[in-house]
Amino acid sequence: MARTRTIALAAVILVCAVLLAVVPPVTGQGRAPAPAGPAPRAADGKPDFSGFWDWPHAPGGPARGATVFDSKRFAPFKPGGEALFYEPRTGDPRHDEPRAFCMPSGFPSNLFGPYPVQIVQRPGWLVMVHEFMRMTRLIPLDGRAHRDIEPTYLGDPVGHWEGDTLVIVNKNFKRWSLDDYYYQDATKYRMHSDAVTMTERMRRTDLNTISYELTIDDPQIFTQPWSQPFEMTHHPEWEKVGLFEFVCEENNRCPGGNCRASQ
Amino acid sequence: MGPMLRMLVAAFMVTAPAAALAHHSFVAEYDRGKPVKVTGTVTRVEWQNPHIWFYVDVKDEAGKVANWGFSGGPPGVLQRRGISRNAMKVGDVVVVQGFRARDGSNNASGGSVTFADGRQVFTASPEDARPEGGR
Repeated sequence: MARTRTIALAAVILVCAVLLAVVPPVTGQGRAPAPAGPAPRAADGKPDFSGFWDWPHAPGGPARGATVFDSKRFAPFKPGGEALFYEPRTGDPRHDEPRAFCMPSGFPSNLFGPYPVQIVQRPGWLVMVHEFMRMTRLIPLDGRAHRDIEPTYLGDPVGHWEGDTLVIVNKNFKRWSLDDYYYQDATKYRMHSDAVTMTERMRRTDLNTISYELTIDDPQIFTQPWSQPFEMTHHPEWEKVGLFEFVCEENNRCPGGNCRASQ
Repeated sequence: MGPMLRMLVAAFMVTAPAAALAHHSFVAEYDRGKPVKVTGTVTRVEWQNPHIWFYVDVKDEAGKVANWGFSGGPPGVLQRRGISRNAMKVGDVVVVQGFRARDGSNNASGGSVTFADGRQVFTASPEDARPEGGR
């Protein structure tokens, strides 16, 4: 009996290993290993991030499903911070999940969705277009200051170079969803406050990889800033067809989280 | 289901991509514990964002016909997988596997579609659960 169990366990481990090896990335298309090489540089000598990339995911692994923050990375909550971080459920779908009514996912939640990103870099600007919800971020790199504007869903980004690292500081946020953790645990809807500053640190470590670290500095919720490292993987095979349109309002049959067929 | 098969299914579940969402919540709307597999005739195709929907007339054992609605991935994601809007036409006979809506209506996530010629396509969202046999 024990031997049977051992064999069964070994079979399960083998199946897990095989599935992990053969189940393709969630975007579905098989992909030949891209040629390795050094990070390319733009005409101005800066590392060039231009190209098609998957969304930030755990370093070393394939991108699978939406990325969420690891709670082990969080700094301690301030008194009252946890209550601000987890938005209570009210039963009103427009409050509880406005994104199901095609409201924006916001930053960084939209960037963490399982869809391709196209980055276009030119002197003075970095443009990031995410297929999901067709989120577009226009990031000035010319040394200008943050604008004095009303709070936003995506934040107001300003980038600068620190050696070969592109640092993007995002301010002027509305209080909004932080990530998609809610869909794993429907009791925990994570929010950031309108006082948050989010700082991205991007390095193209080689031809195929962007090291992407995000720092959350939310003084209304946490006692100190905290960070989590991610990685983005180059997908040159997506160049040919490019990004596709994504219009959430076109045929949204799930307003309020209750999908309804058309009949 | 024997113990070995149960363990294999469990192994698949833990290695399958996490059902974390993007536009809508798979876990909120569809019940992983209620897989469905129906055979029927396509009556309508909505190849639109944010998720395709297609409808299938399914006849039960008593001969009564019910129309089922299935939600799939966004058109762009499917196109990147090589599945175009011409893949499914009204009148096609298909076998659809997915997970039933929590509200008990005749709606489900349409994880995989098998055509009469045996061709199978995986139509679910990148964030949705995959039915056994889906790819």
